[in-house]
Parts: sequence; structure tokens; C-alpha cells
Amino acid sequence: MLDTVREVSTPELIALRLHCAGPISRALAWFVDLAIRIGVYLVLAFPLSAFGKAGTGLILVGVFLIEWFYPVLFEVLAGGATPGKRALGLVVLNADGSPVGWAASMTRNLLRVVDFLPFFYAIGLVSMLATRDFRRLGDIVADTVVTYRRSATPLPIAPDAPRWRPHAPLSRTAQRAVLAFAERAPRLSPERAEELAEQAPMLTDDARGALAVSRLYGLAHYLSGREQ
Amino acid sequence: MRQEQFEARFGARWDAFEHWLAFARLPRRQRAKQPAPFADDDMAPRYREICQHLALAQSRDYGPALTERLHRLALEGHDRLYGTPGGGLRRFGHYLASGFAREVRREWRVVLAALLVFVLPYVATMIAVRLSPDFAYIVLPAEQLAQFDTMYGPDAAELGTARGARDDLTMFGFYIYNNIGIGFRTFASGLFAGIGTLFMLLYNGVFMGTVEAHVVNLGHAARFYSFVAGHSSFELSAIVLCGAAGLRLGLALLAPGESTRGAALRLAARSVIGIVAGAAAMLVIAAALEAFWSPRTLPLQMKVTVGAFNWLLVLGYLLLAGRRNAP
Repeated sequence: MLDTVREVSTPELIALRLHCAGPISRALAWFVDLAIRIGVYLVLAFPLSAFGKAGTGLILVGVFLIEWFYPVLFEVLAGGATPGKRALGLVVLNADGSPVGWAASMTRNLLRVVDFLPFFYAIGLVSMLATRDFRRLGDIVADTVVTYRRSATPLPIAPDAPRWRPHAPLSRTAQRAVLAFAERAPRLSPERAEELAEQAPMLTDDARGALAVSRLYGLAHYLSGREQ
Repeated sequence: MRQEQFEARFGARWDAFEHWLAFARLPRRQRAKQPAPFADDDMAPRYREICQHLALAQSRDYGPALTERLHRLALEGHDRLYGTPGGGLRRFGHYLASGFAREVRREWRVVLAALLVFVLPYVATMIAVRLSPDFAYIVLPAEQLAQFDTMYGPDAAELGTARGARDDLTMFGFYIYNNIGIGFRTFASGLFAGIGTLFMLLYNGVFMGTVEAHVVNLGHAARFYSFVAGHSSFELSAIVLCGAAGLRLGLALLAPGESTRGAALRLAARSVIGIVAGAAAMLVIAAALEAFWSPRTLPLQMKVTVGAFNWLLVLGYLLLAGRRNAP
């Protein structure tokens, strides 16, 4: 219940980790969108009101479109996020991790009026707190989740060192350990880093001291595919 | 196979896939200018190949740089393959041409229910107000009724105008904003176990029945029917369809059958959201008619003929469209 990560897998059995977003960041995104919508209204209203009554008609059509379709258009055509969600790093996805389509987006956004009741998304908030993935009613019915944008975790950059290659293939655990070492060792005292590096003589050809650290850095360069 | 051999053997294919992803992200006009790395229908097999290579790379403990790259390619390919295809407007056009009517017929039970909930109070209040005109003042406040008196009275500059000069475009905007909003709310409030939808249908039936009978009582029948004949078909059917979609949601909550309530709701929403979109399209037509055609003072006969034709059009469409190519 405390974990907001949801594991789903694609039909090709590739694991996706979705980090579901909570009420606070979603509310902030909503406020950003509100500010943008108000801005658009003002920009629309001034020139159009110059046209008198005809302008009023066009303003009403504009208000209708923005009230109901602003989120739908952005979610389907702009990669699953309104500008507000984009600013907060959020994205709307189907529960299976695929991008939302017209039907799902329309459903979740038309049902916004129910979530809004009785005042200021009270029902939506209760629903979000009561469900596992912070879903408001519109999300439940449309089978969507709001998650943090997938960010590629860049491989750590190790301090400069000559490239060093292992003699035998490394297991994945060993690879990860080397990369983690290269990421954290620069923040340790040199003595502690050397002490740790000497724990893995089979990776460094029994090197001691600073040479062991440098060889592990070189190994990290080799593993992360970076030259030098 | 060692990692170097693996990379040397398939690297070119991964590069091609990466190029294709970048190419597919370009706007259509720029895509036309340059050749595609490979044909679009080659994408799915190449994507599966990437997935397979990722699995191999992971099981053989190849380096993280390679597995990260393959993982990223696989995820971007997944989003592209399972994302929404383009041409949404064209597909909606196709849907309106036949799929919409088919789905309405498939959901005929809730459509019939919504129709009854709307029409029965409509007819009942109409009879009640015709029999005892004062009943109208119990249902609606006097000021509101007075407004309708002027709208359809002989002093109105044009039909259906409250006061002052009427502007067609303003009214069009108002009908779009107000009527389609009502349609969407009628659907959404079905989530309260259908009660919200029932109330909206009932209220609209009672309201319209009262107004119609009241205006007829005052002797403005000709002007009233001249105004409403043209757009009533599209508007009333669309409201009933939105109501039907809302009832379907409520029903899924009350009687989920063999699935969980959540699953039943998801299924119900997926099968009626198209109907709501189609009803919105009908309301756009209704708004255009109501703003630009209905207020014209033309011979009553002509207005009623056009109105009858529109009713035939709507009913004929809902009953017959898409029967031949039914999947």
C-alpha cells in the first residue's frame, strides 16, 4: 500500500515500472493548467469581444471546447500530458502502460465533472486515497493511471581512468556492483575507496591501493560503453 | 556468442530501428521529404526482434550499456506500436457513418429505458398542463414562464427570442456550450448508480412538456412549432442517447453480473463512450439548426415539412445505417 510502483509487462513480456503520481502533484498540475486556461480565455476574449455579439458566440464555442476538450486533445495528441502535467513530469497511461487513446481520454475527462463534486474534486480525492494507484473515478472507469514520466536512468560517469577489461564475462550482479562503486567511490575518502576496491581482486588482477580503484573505474568505463 | 559478436551482427538493425523511431516522430510533411528507413509494416517484426535481443542480452549478462539501449528501443517501439494511430478525425467520420448507429442499436435496451424516462414525464406534464393551465405555475416559476411567453409571443422580433435583438452566432455559441454540456453531464452523472442521469432525463422531460403545453395554452402553438420543428429531432434524440449511455454506467455499478464492479464499469464505458461522442456531433447539428434555421419566419408548412424530414433522417439513420456492412 505504501509502494507507489506498479509493475506491468507488455505483451512481449518486457517489464514496465509505473510510478503512480499522488494527489499533490496532480493538483499542482491542475493549477498550472487552470492558469493556462485562464490565460487562453483572456487572449481569446479581448480581440473577439471587439466583434460584438458575433464575438460572444465564438467565445462561448471556445469556452466549451477548452472546458471539455483541453485535456483530451493534449493527452491523445501530445504524448499523454497537458502542459500542466508535462511541467510536473506526469503522464497519463492506460493501466497496461500503453499510451491513452481517444476513448479512454474522453471517458476520464468527461467524468471529471463527477470527480469535481460536491466541491473542488472532493470525490476524486477520496477515490484517489482509497485506491491503490491513486485513481479518481474517471481513471477507474477509463482504466487509466497518472504516472511519473519514464526517465531513462543514465549510466553513472566514472572518474577518468584507463580502460580495463575483465578476463571472464561478468555476471549481472557483478556488473551492477562495479557501476555502483564507480558512482559512489568519488564521494568516499580515498582510503575507504581503496579498501573497498581491494575486496574484488578477481576483477582488478590483484591490484592494491589506488591502482585497484583506477582499474575498477576503467572497468566501469568498459561496461558503460564509454571510450576512455 | 560474445557481446562484441552480438553487437557486430545486429548493430545495424538496431540503428535502423532507432532511425525509424526518429522518423516516425517527425511531422507528416517532413516525413514525405525523406525516405523511410524501412516500410511501416516491417515495424512489428523488427520490434519483436528487438524484444528478443533484449531478452537474450539480459539472460547472457551482456553489459548494461547494451541492455539499457535495447530496453529503451523496446519501450519506444511499444509506445509507437500500441499508441493511438493518426487520422482521428477521419476515423470519427467513419464511425459516424455506420458504427455509431450500430452501437446505438446494440444498446437498445438502455436506449429504450432512457426514452421512456424522458418521454413519459414529457407527455404526462403536457396533458396535465393542457387540462389545467395553472399546473404550469406549480412546475416552473412565473418569471421563467413569462420569458417563454415573450419568446413565442407575437411581439418577438424573431422566433424563440427572449428580448432585444437576437444574434444567430451568439445563440449558436450558447447552444453549443449549454446543450452539449448538458449532454455530457447527463452521461457522467450516470456514475451515481444512474440516479443523476434519471434525474436529468426526468427534469428535461417535465420542463419541456410544461413549456410546450403552456405556450400552446396561450395560443402561440404555430410560432412554437415553427421554431422547434427543425432541430427537435437531433436535440431530443441526442439527449436520450446521452441518457442511455449514463444509464449503462449506472447499470454496470448496480448489476455488474459476473465481473467485478470496476471491470463492469470499464466495459460499459468502453462500449458507450462512442455513443456519447456521436450524440455530441448530433448536438452540434442541432445547435446549427436552432441558431440559423429555426428562428426564420417562414411558412409554417415549410418549417414543419423540414422538421418531419429531419425526424425521418435521424430515425432512419439510427435504425438502418451500417446494417449492410455489419461486422
